[in-house]
Amino acid sequence: MDVNIINPILSAFTEILPQIGFQQIEKKKIALVGSTFDYDGILLNIAMIGSIKGVILIGMSIDDAKSFASKMMMGMEVAEFDKLAQSAISEMGNMVCANACTQFSKIDVGGLDISPPTLMMGQGQATLPVPQAIIIDFTCDNIDVKIYVGLA
Amino acid sequence: MAIKIMIVDDSPFSRTIIAETLTDGGYEVVGEADSLETALETYNKTKPDIVTMDIAMPEADGFEVSRALLRNDPKAKIILSSSMKDEETELEAKRVGISGYVQKPVEADNLFEVIRKVLSPDTLFQELLSRGLDTFKEALSQNITRMAKTSVSFIEDAEIDDPYQSKGVTTIIGIIGQYTGTMILDLSFEVAEKIAETILRRPAKNPEEVLAMVSELANIIGGIACSMLNKREKALGLRVSPPSMFHGNSAELVSPSVKIHKSLAQTEYGVIFLGVGFKKGSTLWM
Repeated sequence: MDVNIINPILSAFTEILPQIGFQQIEKKKIALVGSTFDYDGILLNIAMIGSIKGVILIGMSIDDAKSFASKMMMGMEVAEFDKLAQSAISEMGNMVCANACTQFSKIDVGGLDISPPTLMMGQGQATLPVPQAIIIDFTCDNIDVKIYVGLA
Repeated sequence: MAIKIMIVDDSPFSRTIIAETLTDGGYEVVGEADSLETALETYNKTKPDIVTMDIAMPEADGFEVSRALLRNDPKAKIILSSSMKDEETELEAKRVGISGYVQKPVEADNLFEVIRKVLSPDTLFQELLSRGLDTFKEALSQNITRMAKTSVSFIEDAEIDDPYQSKGVTTIIGIIGQYTGTMILDLSFEVAEKIAETILRRPAKNPEEVLAMVSELANIIGGIACSMLNKREKALGLRVSPPSMFHGNSAELVSPSVKIHKSLAQTEYGVIFLGVGFKKGSTLWM
């Protein structure tokens, strides 16, 4: 996978997060991994279809997902990762991936659209439909967020 | 009672022209706004049936204001007005969830027609909802029967409200087109292993081979079901993503923005969960 494929996603993430209440968005690490990896917590699955195809996953631990949702809801207490918190995280993923489509169109990768988000909660392994996936580690106001990119 | 409309545009001149056009057409202009903040405030105060939205505004643009309005009220019906008419603007509008589009300068008849269409029931979507699950069931049944030589009967159709507990191997396929959607296939590893053995005519060499078979099966079912739906109604233009898989897991699954309709396929190897849901995000471009 061409590593440059992640640039529009990085731009989208750093553009959208300040709009939903985050101040410090730090990119910590970028790593190339195989198509299968472990997860523990939540994984938001959004498919991207058009001139490139595949999936973007956004992952966090359950505790971080609760803090993330709380931050999105202006500090409201989130004791359980309930329907409201699930909806907040999904909305964030939707906004980031929709914005990523716009960023892709700026570099002439057009005609992209995204599927509605599906949220996995628990632990296990994920396999993306590409030989290699890229993992981007972010810290957003002390909350760890991983973005897994499996596009080709 | 007249249809209530709110106008969002940074230009007082444009707002006046649109307001006069709408008033002459028998609509009630209940509010005007020129920024994200005033749009939200006016929307919540006036509860309009329709919002007309300029794209180019100095601070937050029309897409950003639309996103904020839809976050505030997912049922908000927004018609974008823009001098641009290109594929990327159309896709962006669809992704945001904008309901319709009129090209600037706004012509009265065009605007009224788009308002009428945005407010009338979407029969294409209703049909997709009513046929969607049955079509995916048919594709699953045909292909499982053909590939794994087992008859399939469906034992339950329902909507999933609460988190669905995965049986071990979950495959998710994203769908785009006139509407977007999701197909979920879930089964236990043991059931997957038995199906793989039948298809391969030998036991699978390793778990990866079993997972590859499930992925391929989901891909075929999703692709065939969407082709069947497209054949019946060309305007749907549905396309599928390659599958992503979650396995070895004890995971729950939710779909916060789409109602998933489920059915359980009973085969001689065990049960396969099939979930299908579609979401409206159509744009009426004229």
